[in-house]
Amino acid sequence: MTADAYMAASDLLDTVNAVVVSPNFTNDGVCFAARNSGLYRSDDGGRSWSMAYRSLELDVLVATTAVAVSPNFSADQTVFAGVSGGILRSADGGATWSAATLPLPAPLITALAVSPNFAKDGVVLAGTMEDGVFRSSDRGASWAAWNFGLFDLHILCLALSPSFATDETVVVGTESGLFRSTNSGRAWRETAFPPEAAPVLSVAPSPTYADDGTLFAGTELKGLFRSDDRGQSWTSLGADVMTEAVAGIVLDPAFPAKPHVLVLLADRLVLSRDGGASWSDWRASVSFETATALIATPQGVEPDAPVLVGLMEGGVVRL
Amino acid sequence: MPDQQIPGVVFQPNSHRGLQRGINQLVNVVRPTLGPRPRTVAIESTSRHKTPELLDSAGVIARRIVQLHERDADMGAMMVRHLLWKLHEEVGDGTATAAVLFQTVYNRGFSYIAAGGNAMRLRRYLEQGTREIVAELERMTVSIDGKQRLALLAESLCFDQPLAMLLGEIFDLVGEYGHVEIRTGHRRELERQYVEGSYWGSKVLSPHMLTDHIKLRADLTDAAILISDLELEDPREVFPMVHMAMEAGHKALVILATKLSETVVALLLAASRDPEKFQVLAVQTPGAGASEQMAAMEDLSIMTGGRPVLKVTGDTLRKVTAEDLGHARRVWGDRFSFGIVGGKGDPRRLRAHIANLRTGFATSDDRSARNRLQQRLGRLLGGSAVLWIGGTSEPELKAREELAKRTSDMLRTALREGVVPGGGVALLACRPKLRQCLEATADADEQAAYRILLRALEEPLRTIVSNAGFDASPVVARLIQAENGSGFDARQGQVVNMAEAGIFDLAAAQKAAIQGAVTSAALALTVDILIHKKKPQATPGRP
Repeated sequence: MTADAYMAASDLLDTVNAVVVSPNFTNDGVCFAARNSGLYRSDDGGRSWSMAYRSLELDVLVATTAVAVSPNFSADQTVFAGVSGGILRSADGGATWSAATLPLPAPLITALAVSPNFAKDGVVLAGTMEDGVFRSSDRGASWAAWNFGLFDLHILCLALSPSFATDETVVVGTESGLFRSTNSGRAWRETAFPPEAAPVLSVAPSPTYADDGTLFAGTELKGLFRSDDRGQSWTSLGADVMTEAVAGIVLDPAFPAKPHVLVLLADRLVLSRDGGASWSDWRASVSFETATALIATPQGVEPDAPVLVGLMEGGVVRL
Repeated sequence: MPDQQIPGVVFQPNSHRGLQRGINQLVNVVRPTLGPRPRTVAIESTSRHKTPELLDSAGVIARRIVQLHERDADMGAMMVRHLLWKLHEEVGDGTATAAVLFQTVYNRGFSYIAAGGNAMRLRRYLEQGTREIVAELERMTVSIDGKQRLALLAESLCFDQPLAMLLGEIFDLVGEYGHVEIRTGHRRELERQYVEGSYWGSKVLSPHMLTDHIKLRADLTDAAILISDLELEDPREVFPMVHMAMEAGHKALVILATKLSETVVALLLAASRDPEKFQVLAVQTPGAGASEQMAAMEDLSIMTGGRPVLKVTGDTLRKVTAEDLGHARRVWGDRFSFGIVGGKGDPRRLRAHIANLRTGFATSDDRSARNRLQQRLGRLLGGSAVLWIGGTSEPELKAREELAKRTSDMLRTALREGVVPGGGVALLACRPKLRQCLEATADADEQAAYRILLRALEEPLRTIVSNAGFDASPVVARLIQAENGSGFDARQGQVVNMAEAGIFDLAAAQKAAIQGAVTSAALALTVDILIHKKKPQATPGRP
């Protein structure tokens, strides 16, 4: 493994459930890793990490299953962390926290997403393992379940349209397929994602989703799928290359002009430079035991750009 | 009326003229109701002490007109009445449009036949032209979504802005199959309530099981669920099952049954002595009648992953194992209903089940079967809405409740089958296609049919404009020259882009109106002879 930095795993299986970087990562180098042992923050681009829950003075480890930062993180320093039964919110980059509890039985948060228009709309969405989607429109102070039309409440991934401020589109991957909301996560409609290919573990809308309606969805066993009509029809991609779970998908910020797609498989990263038609290893000699989370930095998905990968056995590799 | 007792045969031209009188009479009665500025029709009550009924729906008005005095005219009126009634029942909208289309086609066709045209050939070409119009309407059809657009559509259907705004919000959330209940409220205003998950109108079988004594409700988390239609009489049969649930580590058990004996209730209450440790909730098996019960149990079984324990297969509680129980994150019950949130069945099986029900809905032409399927789908899709209708008087409440139900049905149709530009513009926009057909033929009957249809397509717009108090001819002339999508906003009295102004008609209603009206009018034009049957003599001493 060619890693620039490695966060050592604890004695327990300290799975990294999610990794997120600051929108100003190139300058501030801030990133967060949600692990079974808690939330960790790095200020040097993932080279060194420190526990972000210190101010809570906890006696027990608080497994953190999801993390998201505000799009205005540089200014508002807002971070959200998903824990069992609740969502923690920090307005000072993780130094202090306030908690919002969710109704019993305690939901397990699987995904968090902050509206790109957070400064104005204050919208944050949380996917859960058995309770569907919770939505907050007051910056995470209070939450309510919004699951109209979402008959499968097992949310495995969640993504917002980059034009969320205008198109209010959210997509969630579930055990049985992929659902889409066009009213800011209040109501959901099933897409035509092939049921035999579910569950959907990862999803990524195109940066120009409002115009091209392009979505990529990664599955557990059937590889990657692409839709160019907002989920009404799907095409299987790279089935020969992707025979294992697709844990993460990142599109180049210039997609579709630069149709590069980076996909995290359990043990390696593969890159397509033609929108998914053909695939090759992202960088030679990069492999892991079991990868769980992927985040690309604002520098894009080129093999020379830094990429952070979370691992099942604990630790984040910066490649 | 001695003439009513005499059988008679009426030949041309009296037969056509008689039918025409009746058609014109009925259509002229409903004509003022077309458009967003409708006027009402007062119908005398059968009781002298009641006020007249005020109606603004052509379908309902047509239903109230049972018979015209003149027998020839009555036959013509009944042809229109049958069309409007059928449209009202099947689509719920487009009745006044159909009426004015029928009248124009009949009157113009009558003139052509009187001048020597062939009625049968005219009918054939009228129907051919209608197929072209329907194809054009399908091409124009767009889907509708979003709270604002749905509210605008609802307002154009019910002319009740507060109601339209709430229905727009509700249907934006619940969608075309959504479970929406419309109930009589206790306040003056309209109110809505959203219910998470799925619920059925089945009461808890013993009020003592409602642990929240203030709200008269019970809430259970991580509950096991026995789905059955059994009558549970013997506590010795029930006890092992309760014991098994406790042994399996469940903290809450929900039992669906058609009946519980008092001793069984006592046993279940004893088992729930400490609700923190173990709680039982017994609920009436949902569904009225065997087939509805079976359907509800099938849905519950797939949602929760449980096996239905059925009386009809000879099942008893003795055969139930822990694997037969369904599971849900939350279950609630009160005096009137019970609900489930987060059933733990296989979501892929649930998705396939929903797809099957949707197919059944799309392929069924039985109205009541479709209603039942829609209700099932609404529950399975998760999330329901209750709209409480407020008002100041009983008649107002009833009328508004009926209006809300009708508008809800129409919004579902709009979500399912799309919309076209409203205010008669969609029909007007079919004229260029029909004009092409006209230019492509040299057949006199075919040309006559297209000319009749070209004129008929203007009639709904003309009526809407004149009902709103404007001169129709200049507006129609202007719109024929205007850009695609332009129409007349009769409320504002100006030409606007209909899509931008949110003025739409149900595509299904427009298609049904043109198809029904032209087909019926074309058929009426082929009638040559009327035969009046002798009315049966009243038996002395009987009414």
